[in-house]
Amino acid sequence: MGKVKAGFNAFFKSIGGFFKDFGEAVVKGDLFVKLSLIWVGAGYARRKQFIKAILVTIIQVAVIAYTFGFAPEYVSKFATLGTVQQESVFNLQTMKNEFNDYDHSFLILLISVISFVIWFASLLLYMRNTIAVYKLQKRANEGLHINTFIEDCKELLNQKFHVTLLFLPVLGVIVFTIIPLLILILVAFTNYDQQHMPPSSLFTWTGLTNFINLFGGGGITVTFGYAFVRILAWTLVWAFFSTATTYIGGILLSLLINNKKTKAPKIWRLLFVITIAVPQFVSLLLVRNFFADGGIVNTICANIGLTGWLRDIGLISTSYIPFLTAPIWAHVMIIFINIWVGVPYQMLIATGVLMNIPAEQLESARIDGANPRQIFWHITMPYMLFVTGPSLVTDFVKNINNFNVIYLLTANFFVTANQAMANSQAKETDLLVTWLFTLTQDYYNYKMASTIGIVVFVICSLFTLVAFNRMIKGDREEMFQ
Amino acid sequence: MKKKTFQIITHNLLLLILAIIWLIPILWLVVTSFSSYPGINTSTFFPKEWSIINYKKLLFSADSVAQFPNWFNNTFIIAVFTCIISTCFVLMVAYATSCMRFKMRKPLMNLAVIINLFPGILSMIAVYFILKTLGLTNNHLGLILVYSASSGLGYLIAKGFFDTVPASLREAAYLDGATEFDIFLKIVMPMSRPIIVYTIISSFMVPWMDFVYAKIILNSGISSQWTVSIGLFNMLEKSLINNYFTQFCAGGVLVSIPISILFFIMQKFYVEGITGGAVKG
Amino acid sequence: MRKFKKFAAVAVAAAMTLSLAACGSKTETPSTTNAGNNATSAATTEKETVKLTMWGAEEDQKMLQGMIDSFIAQYGDKANFDIQLGVESESTAKDVVLTDIEAAADVYAFASDQLPDLVNAGALLCIDDMDGALQAYAGKTVADVKAANASGSVDAASYNGKFYAYPMSADNGYFLYYDSSLVSAEDVKTWDSLLAAADKAGKKVGMTFASGWYNASFFYGAGFTTGLNADGTTTIDFNGKSAEGYTGVQVVQSMIGIAANPAFMAIADGDISNQIAGGKLCAVVSGTWDATAAQAAFGDGYAATKLPTYTLDGKQIQQGSVAGFKLVGVNAYSKNAGWAALLAEWITNEENQKIRFAEREIGPSNIAAASSDAVAANIAISALSEQSAYGVVQLVGGKYWDPTATLGKSITDGNLKADDEAGIQKALDDMVAGVTAPVE
Repeated sequence: MGKVKAGFNAFFKSIGGFFKDFGEAVVKGDLFVKLSLIWVGAGYARRKQFIKAILVTIIQVAVIAYTFGFAPEYVSKFATLGTVQQESVFNLQTMKNEFNDYDHSFLILLISVISFVIWFASLLLYMRNTIAVYKLQKRANEGLHINTFIEDCKELLNQKFHVTLLFLPVLGVIVFTIIPLLILILVAFTNYDQQHMPPSSLFTWTGLTNFINLFGGGGITVTFGYAFVRILAWTLVWAFFSTATTYIGGILLSLLINNKKTKAPKIWRLLFVITIAVPQFVSLLLVRNFFADGGIVNTICANIGLTGWLRDIGLISTSYIPFLTAPIWAHVMIIFINIWVGVPYQMLIATGVLMNIPAEQLESARIDGANPRQIFWHITMPYMLFVTGPSLVTDFVKNINNFNVIYLLTANFFVTANQAMANSQAKETDLLVTWLFTLTQDYYNYKMASTIGIVVFVICSLFTLVAFNRMIKGDREEMFQ
Repeated sequence: MKKKTFQIITHNLLLLILAIIWLIPILWLVVTSFSSYPGINTSTFFPKEWSIINYKKLLFSADSVAQFPNWFNNTFIIAVFTCIISTCFVLMVAYATSCMRFKMRKPLMNLAVIINLFPGILSMIAVYFILKTLGLTNNHLGLILVYSASSGLGYLIAKGFFDTVPASLREAAYLDGATEFDIFLKIVMPMSRPIIVYTIISSFMVPWMDFVYAKIILNSGISSQWTVSIGLFNMLEKSLINNYFTQFCAGGVLVSIPISILFFIMQKFYVEGITGGAVKG
Repeated sequence: MRKFKKFAAVAVAAAMTLSLAACGSKTETPSTTNAGNNATSAATTEKETVKLTMWGAEEDQKMLQGMIDSFIAQYGDKANFDIQLGVESESTAKDVVLTDIEAAADVYAFASDQLPDLVNAGALLCIDDMDGALQAYAGKTVADVKAANASGSVDAASYNGKFYAYPMSADNGYFLYYDSSLVSAEDVKTWDSLLAAADKAGKKVGMTFASGWYNASFFYGAGFTTGLNADGTTTIDFNGKSAEGYTGVQVVQSMIGIAANPAFMAIADGDISNQIAGGKLCAVVSGTWDATAAQAAFGDGYAATKLPTYTLDGKQIQQGSVAGFKLVGVNAYSKNAGWAALLAEWITNEENQKIRFAEREIGPSNIAAASSDAVAANIAISALSEQSAYGVVQLVGGKYWDPTATLGKSITDGNLKADDEAGIQKALDDMVAGVTAPVE
């Protein structure tokens, strides 16, 4: 944990430094630095960096225009998320419905969050700008060279190349990932659900009510808590087994294929890789029909007498094998099907890594008389774990959020026989993500979905924090360079 | 000598059995796509009557349900642009975080780890409304942005690969007066063919696989605008499945062909790319 | 609300003058009010361009395009129409509409069970408010529309006493298909004789139990009810005593009796067509959408009738059913609500319901269209109308489906035992608690 703490400390220190620089710039800056607190281009104009001055002025004007022209309409309602309910009357003369000027709670939330992000970014730029102008002043006072615009541009391809590289990707992440996440985090504190769906209805802030309800304290008849605990348990079981089985399976398969006894290893590899090339929604929906209660596998099992035998020994009570329709069967089958989907991919990774095992190590072990099993456990596995350990952690997190496999295999297909689960719109095979997908898609229960989403996040981050600290001892980054 | 031959045979036999298990569902996909009966065959593995009618219908006689050629075009175009943007973003972020040192590097990398922990499905509705505010719903550009804008977050594998490029190479270039831009383009890129190929393949596949975002963003009901995945997914509607199941299979086969070819050609690079990156994870 | 009343007054006045003008001769209309003047001039002078979008089922696209063309031919002199047709299955319309109502089509078709959710979300325009537009342009009132359609379909399109959508078809219900070469018309009268005959023939009788749409039929037959409150919550009495004096436990015991019969096959929801084609069945409970599949599977023996009776507390009780309809609604956020309402009316009028039957064998909800000889001769549709006497309009909230499906699943899986009355009662109580939970 020490490393994380140090990271935090460094982070806060750099923030503190930033504020200190800004304060110093404001206090010690000359007239133009102070003027640039009002007109951001002032400092540049003084140092004859006119193009830069114009560019920052344009940004300043745009932010001001946004702040006073567009944002107030929405942001001013952020505290209530809107108060004017939609009403309409039909006007026969125009054959149109006439609406009042109603509030759209979700748009208010959306535009407000966007505005906050824009303002936060503007504030940072504004402070940086002041610091930069002050630096210019210092350079000028010391009689140092002041960059022309072209020199500034060149810098963006050299010392400041990272700014150029990161600008668009970071912008994309902010708009399409961070802003949506902020919105969804906020939704967990509202009553956005089927009874409060914009545009026809409004939703508003409700504080921690949803979290209290999730953990069974809300006194609602259907407690989400019951379903939540069970789904969480299965999510963790699934994440563990799916990660472990595909990982080990991948290594074994690649060892098998890369063995000297194998004829034409490339062809074998291709055969297994075909399963990756078929889109999952095709292959998994197909497999689901393959194993359906009335599907082809069941027909074959009934014909060869397997179904009857299983009935006789009491493993099943139905006239078919409920591969994907009874909880335990489905849990096992889903993990097996995931092996089918995931092993070829892991096999490719393992193949590459195993090729890199230092040959002399294997050779010396063989000379020492180690048998293949000993070599596997004492050399191959430790090496694999050392090299792919971190990616094992990310795989685990990915499996916690593995939407595709579970959704495609069970949605509209698996019916729970547990009434308490059904009452929370959940089923035994659901992961937390598929459950919250059902809640949003079929029940429009956005508030609970967001609440569950936050809980998923907390679980994942706790796990990652612990696991990463265990697995990455020290910074291995520079090791290879 | 005999014992050895026996071992080789059993070894390859084991592989054969595994390969058969792996390929049975795929084989079922292929044979079902050649069935003349349009629904799901639940009684026999192989179709009772063989025919290529599904492919014919899919490719040459589009109706409102099956407009495969249109969907294929749409998806291909979306995939190409997604692929270009994503690959650029991933390589840019990976180079910046691997080869350059700046103040915000660590905080940004930590932030990326944290963001990746959120279940992405959750933000779907917010992404939809952001696109709507920008006027980009029912628009392929919107879909391209959704697939590629956040791709920078998937930089880790590429970064892991760049980490293995010896720093001494870059330092020598600095001494020769090269700028970061030169090094990026002329030194690191040419050495990184495996990871570029890996990134291209994985980002190219995204639009072919996604059926959640495409469905919510292309919501005008105009089926000629759809991508392959929503089109095929739609064929499994309760009211359609019995007339379109085998066409669905045929569509699945047709989609897999280009991806498989891409895979087979690039297999070597792909493996090298992953492993170079997985070393760091 | 004051604003609303004022508009309503103007609208009514306008409608009255306009309908006078429409019904009267070509002579000048008496321009008593300003509103009347404006309305007539709007209708006669400059033609406005009206953009509309419409969603319908995939299979219906060609037919719907024909209906759009005839609509434009009919009303082309009143405005310029630009109507775009999109694909959205009636069974999934709600999901797409509710994600973003403002982006949804102006006119869309949906299955009647989605009506409550759509109304609660404000996604449907109240057709009652369109009376003026209908009178002015289509020459009929909302009351005329209601009178022209079967009363069940009007009930299914109404919620809290308001009329929200035009009935399009009366085909969304189920009945019994059977193979008359294997089971006789006498056998299909009761479940007991049907299962016995199927057993003898070495075939099975199929029905979906794991769905509240199908399994409620046993409860409805015994006099149990479901309903919907104004706040969107569902009322259900399956765990108590019905009006006819049966208990829910008895009904479940009867269902267990059927499910436990070796000649019975429980079919997963949505898998019925496959199973019909699979060839193991000699009778199956399904709807008109499976007519072709059943015809192909049963061949010359293809027959259909109402559902059988079942044994309840020693008596034979007619199995009920859900009377489902397909409806066409108008988006409350439509930019051209009036014309959208007229388009929706047009594609559901008597003429177009006849076309729908002729082209796709879809059972009409329009009384006149349904009374033709061709409709009567259609085996599936006449079986449906035979069953409709026992049909119940199932208006329930979204929380109804999962718990009731689970009850059916528990029955077919054998989790509930017929002799364990306390266990059955508990299962019913749990199910009711889930169904009646408040909407979130």
